[in-house]
Amino acid sequence: MAEAGIKGKHQIEKALYEEKKEISSGRLKDENPLDTSLEFRKFCEACRRGDLKVCQEQISTGININARDEYDYTPLILASLCGHYEVAQMLLEQGALCERDTFQGERCLYNALNDRIRNLLLQYDYSKSTDPLQPLAAHITSLLSRETPKTTDIVVQTGETTLDLHKFILAARSPYFAQKLSAAPETTLWKLSHAVPSQSFETCIKYLYMAEVGAGLGEGEEEQAILTGIDKLSRQLEIPQVFEDILASGDRRQARQRRTDEIARARDQLAGWFQDNVLKYKMRMESDKADDVKWDRDNGIFADVLLRADEDEEEEEETEQTEGNGAKVRQTNGPLDGIPVGHFQNQASRSPSRRRKPKNSVLFPCHRAMLLRSEVFDTMFASPFREGQESKHLQIVPVDCSPDVLEIILTFLYTEKADFPLSIALEVLTAADMLFIEKLKQRAALLISTLGNGTASIVDAENPRGETSIEEFIDIYDVLRAGWDTRVHRLEEFAARYIAYRLERYIDEADFKDLVKESAARIQSRQETDTVELIDDIRYYLSERFRLRFEDSGLDEMMDETVAAELEGVTDEKVEDEGVDVTSGLTPPQDTTYNTEEGQGVVRTLDGEIAGDEFAQDAMNYQILLGKIETLMEGLGLDG
Amino acid sequence: MANRPPRQGLNGNDVDFDTTWQILERAFLEIHTKNASQLSFEELYRNAYKIVLKKKGDALYNKVAEFEHRWLGDTIRVRIVKLLSAPFLFNDDIGRTLATSAERRAGGEGVLKALKQAWEDHQVCMSMLTDVLMYMDRVYCTDHRQPSIFAKSMGLFRDQILRTPVRQGEDNLITILTRIILDQIAMDRDGEAIDRYLIKSNVYMLEGLYESEQEVEDEKLYLREFEESFLQKSAQFYREEGERLLKESDAGTYCHHAKRRIDEESDRCRSTLSESTAPKIQRVVEDELIRNKMKGLIEMDSGVLYMVDNDKFNELHLVFDLEARVDPRKPELTKALQQIIADMGAKINEAAVATSQAPPQAAPAPEDGEGDKSKGKQDKQINQQTQAALKWVADILDLKDRFDKIWEISFGRDQTIQTALTRSMSENINSFGRSSEYISLFIDDHMKKGIRDKTDQEVDAILEKAIVLLRYLQDKDYFETYYKKHLCKRLLLKKSQSTDVEKQMIARMKMELGNSFTLKLEAMFKDISLSEDLTRGYREHVAGLGDADRKRVDLTVSVLTSMTWPLEAFRSANEDDGETRAQIIFPPALDLVRQGFERYYSEKHSGRKLTWQTSMGEVDIKALFKNKSGQMRIHEVSCSTYAALILLLFNDRQPDDQLSLEEIEAQTNIPMQSLKRTLQALAVAPKTRFLSKEPMSRDVNPGDKFSLNDDYLPKTVKIKVGVVSAGNKVEGDRERKETEKRNNDSRGFVIEAAVVRLMKTRKELAHAQLLNETISVLSSRFKPDVNMIKKRIESLIEREYLERMEDAPVPSYKYVA
Repeated sequence: MAEAGIKGKHQIEKALYEEKKEISSGRLKDENPLDTSLEFRKFCEACRRGDLKVCQEQISTGININARDEYDYTPLILASLCGHYEVAQMLLEQGALCERDTFQGERCLYNALNDRIRNLLLQYDYSKSTDPLQPLAAHITSLLSRETPKTTDIVVQTGETTLDLHKFILAARSPYFAQKLSAAPETTLWKLSHAVPSQSFETCIKYLYMAEVGAGLGEGEEEQAILTGIDKLSRQLEIPQVFEDILASGDRRQARQRRTDEIARARDQLAGWFQDNVLKYKMRMESDKADDVKWDRDNGIFADVLLRADEDEEEEEETEQTEGNGAKVRQTNGPLDGIPVGHFQNQASRSPSRRRKPKNSVLFPCHRAMLLRSEVFDTMFASPFREGQESKHLQIVPVDCSPDVLEIILTFLYTEKADFPLSIALEVLTAADMLFIEKLKQRAALLISTLGNGTASIVDAENPRGETSIEEFIDIYDVLRAGWDTRVHRLEEFAARYIAYRLERYIDEADFKDLVKESAARIQSRQETDTVELIDDIRYYLSERFRLRFEDSGLDEMMDETVAAELEGVTDEKVEDEGVDVTSGLTPPQDTTYNTEEGQGVVRTLDGEIAGDEFAQDAMNYQILLGKIETLMEGLGLDG
Repeated sequence: MANRPPRQGLNGNDVDFDTTWQILERAFLEIHTKNASQLSFEELYRNAYKIVLKKKGDALYNKVAEFEHRWLGDTIRVRIVKLLSAPFLFNDDIGRTLATSAERRAGGEGVLKALKQAWEDHQVCMSMLTDVLMYMDRVYCTDHRQPSIFAKSMGLFRDQILRTPVRQGEDNLITILTRIILDQIAMDRDGEAIDRYLIKSNVYMLEGLYESEQEVEDEKLYLREFEESFLQKSAQFYREEGERLLKESDAGTYCHHAKRRIDEESDRCRSTLSESTAPKIQRVVEDELIRNKMKGLIEMDSGVLYMVDNDKFNELHLVFDLEARVDPRKPELTKALQQIIADMGAKINEAAVATSQAPPQAAPAPEDGEGDKSKGKQDKQINQQTQAALKWVADILDLKDRFDKIWEISFGRDQTIQTALTRSMSENINSFGRSSEYISLFIDDHMKKGIRDKTDQEVDAILEKAIVLLRYLQDKDYFETYYKKHLCKRLLLKKSQSTDVEKQMIARMKMELGNSFTLKLEAMFKDISLSEDLTRGYREHVAGLGDADRKRVDLTVSVLTSMTWPLEAFRSANEDDGETRAQIIFPPALDLVRQGFERYYSEKHSGRKLTWQTSMGEVDIKALFKNKSGQMRIHEVSCSTYAALILLLFNDRQPDDQLSLEEIEAQTNIPMQSLKRTLQALAVAPKTRFLSKEPMSRDVNPGDKFSLNDDYLPKTVKIKVGVVSAGNKVEGDRERKETEKRNNDSRGFVIEAAVVRLMKTRKELAHAQLLNETISVLSSRFKPDVNMIKKRIESLIEREYLERMEDAPVPSYKYVA
């Protein structure tokens, strides 16, 4: 497919030359600025190695994902050159550019290791993908034409044209409105003094609502009149950019860059406004009193609904769970609610009516217009239920999540930003699922699946260079169940891989058995096939884990360590990454002994006698683990 | 470092199913009793969400379904059944008789209203439920391949309300509903006002419900349950109505009515039923009112024939329109029209034959004189035939014009109809044996008299008419023969009004029928103009000789190519015994001129032989007559060459000298037939009685004696001696046979030529193929008779142009080089 579409080398050179010229003349912004910082080098290194975790860490520090190193390599080029499909996909998902007809884009395609990656790159070509902020912009633009549910709170009039608009957007986007409206927040009709052509007016409003404004404004004198009108209005509303935008013309790329900048600017305005108003006016109070809060419709920040989230009480109980602890609790709770302990008391007191202990709630003053981005809110406000009706004071709508999570959700809805710590990623995931905010769900899933680097060895995982263990953040059983519950396939895969690479640890846990049973049950209810998805996935990743081992080329290193391996009996696999990590020798032999304790006689003899070198040892381990899966399945009476 | 797993609430293990369901159920009841405004969406959504999250989606789903089941079955159905009054519970006919239409309408509307209300309520409530149960729909239903709760509840509505018998052993509601709607529509058709919007609402309901929860598009209840009965019922209605109308009213009214019904039905589909039914009911009405009734309609007393006869263009258009709806080929109308044209054509043809064969009605006019009697009679008859020809042509053209007009006004210039009309016209013309001759005569008549005082456009129109007829004609070779003959006479006798028009006609024919057709005709014109040059040249030549002999006879010659000109046309019927080309004896004065011209001609064109057609010559003589007062006056006598020869015999004789018939024959060598006729003209015809005859009788018999008639006093300065059979008239039967025979002979040659040409290029051909190709090659000229072709092929084989192929699987011929 791609062969015909890939350009020749000379064409790429030419593109580079032209691009350089454009950039040096200042017409075009350099999309790939040089970055020689240490962090960026580390990032590039991770892309080379295919280390998802480091990549994600670096990206979340805010590094420019499209920068280049001193050899003009961008992270995406490195990842695709080295054949790391997952890394390339992650980079693309988070905004790495691979645009046809640009030097770096073509180079990236040209260098892709295989067709799979090349097709991936083509799939993310700019023309098909969109600016990450585009959904936000599109939503705000759509507010202009949206009739149900009604969210507008001001009528702006010029001449004969009237438009139903949103105060908070006007205030966020136009300094003029911000000032006027703060002086008189209760205004419902605003007449602009200047009589300008309605088209000028509409164009400016469209600009405020983040729509693309461009050419096509009539002909000749009419155009002149409209332009004059826009000029006047843009000065009055203090939005000079709109006039500049319309006057500026240029090629596709320039227009696009301008558009990207413009959306980013608008987003920042909105984000700033959100910060200074919505978040600033959030109220923390005892839950008992939360329902009594009365806000007038004519409030200073134009909110038209209050969202309420109840805090968890008994913070002190949320101590870190040790594995053994967790396992015990899970066993008592049974397979369906495999959840860490400590919250039973909360459950009973969750619903306000039956609340026994006083606790705190947080109220966020919000705008329905923005909440509509969640389908649940959209339906809610359009429905004939209470929430969809007019009321004297702002309605208080509870949202079933913690205030932190609600704040993250609101931030995402208002600004498209989704930066949150791993510690609450699962909660964000479930809340986003409940509210049908698909993108946020994906972001949470991405965060979980990349930070908990699925392919890192158990050694890495248990001795992560002094950093906090992944297990401290994530209970892999929770992750898998959340993946099932929220139907995020990525998490199921991630969990299967994660378990496969640490199977020794999980294989004998009763919880794991339950998990397999659950997986089997899921499939039976779907009546698709009679395989157990989880086990299939684990087998797949298990074979990947050991095959990698056999195919690796670092033979010398392995030879060096053979002695240690022999001594230790079973040596767990390690990653050959420039010897940063030479800890294999320290691996305690408990996995194997654990196994043998279960009464696997065969293993014992194999272990003790034949483990001549690492290959043989790996092969044996592989067999042992497969055998254990087999036993497990038989024990559960399952096929596959 | 905070380590927070998801909150337990989200995983739903604080949810007690029964309690939660009670909350939901209570809320649902409120929703159904229209009391929802104080319910919190958030609370309901959260509760449903938690149940699903706790993997109790199926239980919730079933509970909701059960709830709806109960609500619809126990509350709504009962409410509607109460409204059903007796008439609706019985089958159609019985029910109808039980109540007046007003009662039925009122009762029906009550039921319709209740159903509409139930349906709309159900829709509203279910969309609210769906909103609240959004998470269940998305997660549980999608994962478990269940229809959405909305679809499920629509199914429940269908089963509980519509499909459940209203009482034990009685019809279910949908049957009753169908019955009510049909009843109302029947009232509507009868012109009673009904509440269309109400019915439409119920139709919406049927369209919104499906046979199964999969909601397959063509399994709408409307299609499955209602539409079929509606169509059947309508078919029955229109069948009966159509039959009644055919009996009771006239065709025009019927057409109007049918059209109105069709429009009504499509309106009804728009306003009362579903748009999707429009094409189907359209078809039913068309079938019942048009397709099945068309034949009857056309054959009505006031049918198409009546309309054509009375120029009912509007009605014809309606008939056309109606049939065009059901069949683009319009077979019935076409058939009817063809029949009408055929009948009318046959009448015209019969009339023409009758006119031509009818004995002359009136007694011969007295001034004919007794001697001329039989002759005049024949003339009269021929003349009558010419009239018949002209009338025939005019009638045919009329017929054509008439149908063209109908075609234009009523049939919207429809292609199919045009083809059919053309075919019928063509059949009419070709079924009439004399059409070729009549058409040629028509042209001839116009060329001679018709075009006088006419503008170019008018002339054009006449020519166009002729061409139109020509187009229909199959046997174009016959026409060519006749046209040549008629043209020949016009040219030689200078009867033609305008050479321009003649040439125009030829040009048109050339365009219509091709080059070869007009080749000979053009050659005739060429001969005429060459002859004029020749005559002029000869005159100059004579003048150049010097001795301007005043007594010298002036000569005008037409030199005609013998193959081109159908000179036999000049031989009248009683001369056809094979005129012996005896050498005519010219008096010296004339002979001198003749010899002089022959000399002159052979100088110009060596090797050509001139044959004098004396029988066609004409002579102008200046003669001195003594009138009563004894004065001598010069009269110009114009007569045939033969008459001149006879008169010249008497020139030098004494007035009382007598010459017997035999003597005249001997001295002039004029063939006896012509001689007798000429003498008749000179001695019997009262206006040109130059000679007196003994005995005085009408016929010229052997032994009759002739002398100059001294008493003859011409009344005019110019005297024209009658020339027998100079005009173009319809042929007599004998002549016609003659022409046909000649024509068949020439056809034979043409066929042979075509066969040989074909075989020469193809070398070998199967018999059937050869026949086909020959016919197609010749079709522009005439339609050859298959037997004739076979005969010609036989003859060619005999003459060894072709031979039969013996080993061929089908009879085939081979060309012999």
